[in-house]
Amino acid sequence: MKSNTGLVFALPALIVLFMLIAYPVFYTGWLSVTNDQGQFTGLQNFSAVLRPRVTTQALWNTLWWVAGSIFFQVLLGVTAAILLNQNFMGRALVRSIALIPWVIPGIVAATTWAWMFHTEFGIINYMLTSTGALDEPVGWLTRSNTVMPAMIAINVWKLFPFVAIMVLAGLQTIPQELYEAARMDGASYWEEVRHVMLPQIRPVITAVTLLLVIWALNAITIIYAITRGGPANRTVITPIQIFRLAFENVEFNQAAALSVMFFAVVMLIVLAYSKAFASQPGEVQ
Amino acid sequence: MRRSRFTSRSLRRPGLNRPSIFLGCIVLVFVCLFPFVWMSLSSIKVLNELYTIPPQWWPEHPTLANYHKVLFESRIPRYFLNSIIVSVAATGLALVLAVFAANGFARFRFRGRSFWQACILVGQLLPTAAIIVPLFITLRVLGLVNTYWGLILVYMIITLPLSVWMLTSYFKAIPLELEEAAIIDGASRVGILFRITLPLSLPGIVAVLVYAFITTWNEFIFALCFATDSRVKTLPIGLAEFSTEFNTDWGAVMAASMVMTVPIALLFLVFQRHFVGGLTAGATKG
Repeated sequence: MKSNTGLVFALPALIVLFMLIAYPVFYTGWLSVTNDQGQFTGLQNFSAVLRPRVTTQALWNTLWWVAGSIFFQVLLGVTAAILLNQNFMGRALVRSIALIPWVIPGIVAATTWAWMFHTEFGIINYMLTSTGALDEPVGWLTRSNTVMPAMIAINVWKLFPFVAIMVLAGLQTIPQELYEAARMDGASYWEEVRHVMLPQIRPVITAVTLLLVIWALNAITIIYAITRGGPANRTVITPIQIFRLAFENVEFNQAAALSVMFFAVVMLIVLAYSKAFASQPGEVQ
Repeated sequence: MRRSRFTSRSLRRPGLNRPSIFLGCIVLVFVCLFPFVWMSLSSIKVLNELYTIPPQWWPEHPTLANYHKVLFESRIPRYFLNSIIVSVAATGLALVLAVFAANGFARFRFRGRSFWQACILVGQLLPTAAIIVPLFITLRVLGLVNTYWGLILVYMIITLPLSVWMLTSYFKAIPLELEEAAIIDGASRVGILFRITLPLSLPGIVAVLVYAFITTWNEFIFALCFATDSRVKTLPIGLAEFSTEFNTDWGAVMAASMVMTVPIALLFLVFQRHFVGGLTAGATKG
């Protein structure tokens, strides 16, 4: 059927998306090169937003946050998926339980972990000190060198189940013949993991990793709810800086300039990533 | 006969040994479940059991006082209602738009189809931080800041892209022959959508509903910017406020967390199979 009926069906959704996504994106571009009176100012907002030290710090923090989160999310997610791909009694139950972190609202995860990380009354410090792993309680969320790892740990906990179910679904589509062929060659279990499972789930991991990058770049909730970027800007990531500029300093134009740069970098990452890893455009979802 | 014997023997794959599976499962269950368990235990502890060194594992005097405080002495119930209104409306609207769009994408060839599909996907990939400022200004111009409609619109657009994507793959899986038979019987395009496609893709619809509802129920950052008035604040904002408002009353904070988590966890557990199936279908079928 070569007609425009299909477009008519899709039109309402496209119009809504255009109004509330495409238009704001262009409007951000406009805001970034004007002042609050709407006069054209060239690149003034950009240089104003790049000047403070916090901008560079936020960039490094963002890199740490994204890289640390994704490395452990994929590692633990794939490990959990390989475990859950085994046949054993109670597998369905374990799989349901493994999804709990993902279902718990981000803000609830943030408050619960903040309570568990509490310096004096937190259960984590208690577990570590009573087993002798630590000599004295650590102020996880107030010390500058532990706060980012703590945030990453919470983010990993929250999202590795997502990686696990996606990879598990991928593992279950691997044709039986591949395992049989591997066994004919006398492969051990670990060789099967390495030479059959991992290559076969590569497309899934590629797609999931891209989603995780996007989510990590969007994940303001956990950090903002626990530290609001502190202590001493140690957990300010660029999205939080944009949010602060816009809604705490009411510098919409500077926030827009930072958004434009952030947007450009994110799109570059997405493009480079899809070019490098995806064999077909259909795989990146 | 020979073939079936061959497959039955080869189905016995070498696997991890029992102890390592057992150990792995214990670790996995502990890591995933413990924060939730600790949250529920903390929510029924009295004050001096919460603030003791060393911490007390099991509440000796379980109490519902924290829940009483949350349900009768705070604004949480109102925020709960706001959350339900916003989530239900946004989910419903997104579903209606997604059904029509997915039908268009799955069943028709038209100029620029893959381009428009790619556009929808980009909508999913946009960083929140990049659109939050202009979205705020747009809503302000439209007079929708601090209204239900403002949040509903925003939530609709953040759930729409993935909903369209998931439903398109469901619709594509329905055999074309069924629809062709209906066309011969004189059914209209919309008639086919409602009488044949939708009933057959019920699992997909459920998956989309659960996805959209969970996403909107949990959303924090847009609500923080666009709903600053307590008449429209949603639960996540209420909870964030609660933890600063009652500064160190962790028992009440944990009770409020339970109030927010239990409905969504139940919804998820009931529809888990549909939801996980719908989500993974897109990724593995490519």
